[in-house]
Amino acid sequence: MTKFIIHRIFWLIVVLLVVSFITFSLMHLVPGGPWDKEKTLAPQVVDALNKKYGLDKPFFVQFGDYLVNLLHGDLGVSYSRQDRSVTSILLTGLPKTATLGVVAFALAIIIGIPLGMAAALKQNSIIDYLSVLFSTIFASIPGFVLGILLIIIFSVKLHWLPTGGWGSVKQIIMPAFALATLPAAFIARITRASTLEVMRQDYVRTAQAMGIRQHVILFRHILRNSLIPVITVAGPELAFLISGSFIIENLFSIPGIGRLFVNGVFARDYGLIMGSILFYAFAVAAINLIVDVFYAVIDPRIRFD
Amino acid sequence: MVKKLLTLFFSLVVIAALVVLPSCSSSTSSTPQVLRANISGEPSQIDPNRASWSTERTVIMQVFEGLLGFNQDLSLTAVGAKEIPTVANKGISADGKTYTFKLNSKVTWSDGQKVTASDYEYSIKRLFSPDLAAEYTSFYFDIVGGETYYSAIDADDATKAQLKDAIGVKAIDDTTLEIKLYAPRPTFLQLMALWPVYPVRQDIIEQYGDQWTEPAHYIGNGPFIMTEWAHEDHITLVKNTNYWGTKPKLDQVVLKMITDINSEYAAYLNNELDISQVPAGIEQSVMDDATLSKEILRYPELVTFAFQFNVNVEPFNNKNLRKALNAAIDRESFINNVRAGVGQPAYSWIPPGMPGYDASLGADYHFNVTKAKEFLVAAGYKEDGSDVPELRLQYADTGVNPTIAQFVQNQIKVNLGIDVSIEPMERKAFTEAVNAEQYTWAWYGWGADYPDPDNWLPELFGTGAGNNHTGYSNGAFDDLCVQAKQELDNTKRLALWADAQAMIVDDAPVLFIQYRERFRLVKPSVQGLKYTGMDGDAPGDMFFANVYIK
Repeated sequence: MTKFIIHRIFWLIVVLLVVSFITFSLMHLVPGGPWDKEKTLAPQVVDALNKKYGLDKPFFVQFGDYLVNLLHGDLGVSYSRQDRSVTSILLTGLPKTATLGVVAFALAIIIGIPLGMAAALKQNSIIDYLSVLFSTIFASIPGFVLGILLIIIFSVKLHWLPTGGWGSVKQIIMPAFALATLPAAFIARITRASTLEVMRQDYVRTAQAMGIRQHVILFRHILRNSLIPVITVAGPELAFLISGSFIIENLFSIPGIGRLFVNGVFARDYGLIMGSILFYAFAVAAINLIVDVFYAVIDPRIRFD
Repeated sequence: MVKKLLTLFFSLVVIAALVVLPSCSSSTSSTPQVLRANISGEPSQIDPNRASWSTERTVIMQVFEGLLGFNQDLSLTAVGAKEIPTVANKGISADGKTYTFKLNSKVTWSDGQKVTASDYEYSIKRLFSPDLAAEYTSFYFDIVGGETYYSAIDADDATKAQLKDAIGVKAIDDTTLEIKLYAPRPTFLQLMALWPVYPVRQDIIEQYGDQWTEPAHYIGNGPFIMTEWAHEDHITLVKNTNYWGTKPKLDQVVLKMITDINSEYAAYLNNELDISQVPAGIEQSVMDDATLSKEILRYPELVTFAFQFNVNVEPFNNKNLRKALNAAIDRESFINNVRAGVGQPAYSWIPPGMPGYDASLGADYHFNVTKAKEFLVAAGYKEDGSDVPELRLQYADTGVNPTIAQFVQNQIKVNLGIDVSIEPMERKAFTEAVNAEQYTWAWYGWGADYPDPDNWLPELFGTGAGNNHTGYSNGAFDDLCVQAKQELDNTKRLALWADAQAMIVDDAPVLFIQYRERFRLVKPSVQGLKYTGMDGDAPGDMFFANVYIK
């Protein structure tokens, strides 16, 4: 296991290097730069800004400087949030995005797994049909559409919840729900299929033939085994959720990583874009690693050596 | 027993009344004096010398004041200065090149220290520092030595120090500031009312560096002080008890950073904001709403929208074709039927509310298909437009731009028979293409930095000017601009600008569309709002100190 983890960490570093080079190249290839503004800046101003931020240097020198700074834990400066380092900006947004992501993930699990299991245990019943209906609706409505509907109903009409912002429990409810519905639907579908498959296994039939009580079979045999595929998909879902949803964070005015990234792209804020992308890459790779380890713990048949 | 119970009961009632009544009266008499507005996003920074965008300016204008300021009618007023310099009061030298400001001795910083002429000298010289790379510095290149210092990016520190010392800004004493220009500049006083030359504190900046704009160190001389900057979420301002002038009525101003206009509007409807924009396309429903219709605030902005032609590429190098397109657009229909009556049709460049606006200009461009066809024939094309090549129209794919582009496309096709292809582009990509003149016909808008034709004509249509992306070049126009920029007699100056604008209208390097209008919602409880055509995202942000909550 240790060897496996070291191996994966090595590849994580390689992945981050490749991602940083590709992102750095794309940023400089995309039309429009940080100083392209509706009111054109004077040439002297552009020269001064390029000099100040090192954009007057050749491409590879800039990339080399970036990597050297990165090795020192410095993600550079932001052009659109001047006077603030990218590290400090991301660290401000990270707790918000992570909190929202974890709450949304918990909601997705709380909704998805019972919904899927109920559908499987009562296959072809009204419960199954309702479960499939809810899953389909959750999967079909984009999060931002649901978010707008939630705002209209619970903020504008009923005045129960704030439309957005950050800092109170009330402000998390709607964005977390809007963010959770799609993964909840996905988890419900996987859980249903997986549970049905497990229920048809010989050991379940044997247990039933032995007269073991239904709830014991359910919790001891079916639930544990049917969750393995769910965990496989839940990992990337968690990575997706805690990386921040660009649209949901913008819609609900949550000052998280997703909104920062979008603003960074629109402003051609190279430092902020690089920092955000590296954070995403790191988050996805790290969570996948954790899921793989967890996978081995839950299923002893899996060995990494 | 009954008597005792009754006595006890009435005693309790009296006690309850004593407890409840004061709280009732206090709750009705003390409406919290908090104004909640939105600045549409995180300010890049809030350093007056470096700021450029409206989000930044809105914060700065609450915390700082300059030597001069603007009244609600956008005329100049003395603020940090004792009076507006004139030739008569010896504030302006006879040759128009030296300005002497006498300071208002009552003005203090929020920590109680006096604001002195040295603070202004420090601030203006700092503005020119190439290491600061401030974006609006070029406005002040008429000041002696300013451009030379700013351009010395690669110079060593000793040279930079010498160049800085040579800048024509000097504190004669604590209350006298002298500024020398290369040439007379009648609009220099207006530039002195803008935020880049507001005073900043040398000791604070040297002590805290880039972090001086965080709340604990953000010392200003304006009516409010900043107590909180929750990055990406909101800024809180409270009244400055050391403010020299009339103290603000508001206890607090909360500036939210909601980026999505629909979210801002929803927050207003949920009573989280006192002022809001209205998303494009729902103006009519707002006007029809019994409650919201009473909360609408409308007023003209100093903003003109147009489509600029690249006059160096075919077929837009043909003046009569440009005039034909100008005459073929029914702007009234666009404003009334598409924009629910919000805005005003534009037939010339300088908008109403600005010196130099002339409603009689552009008579040829009032919607007239016959006239448009005459221009088309004069341009050398057939009357039905069948031999005109397809025209490419580019725009940044944001806000109402797609609607306007589609409207123009349809009008040109229906009225002149010319096909127009429309090309939406990502905002930055569009801006780069336009700035590099890699376009043929593109969406265009200009808002006032200061209320004078000086800011509206030479910078946009002068040969090789920084914001002239049409490629338009007219020697006679350039000559008029040079004369007007230095003419000290205001009547003569405006006459020169009028001639210059008439040339632009006649040559039509742009297709004039509309003068923008503010269409906002303001809660009825917000009183005393004073708005201008140059406000930032929040109407009245130049005069928040006057606002109170009823």
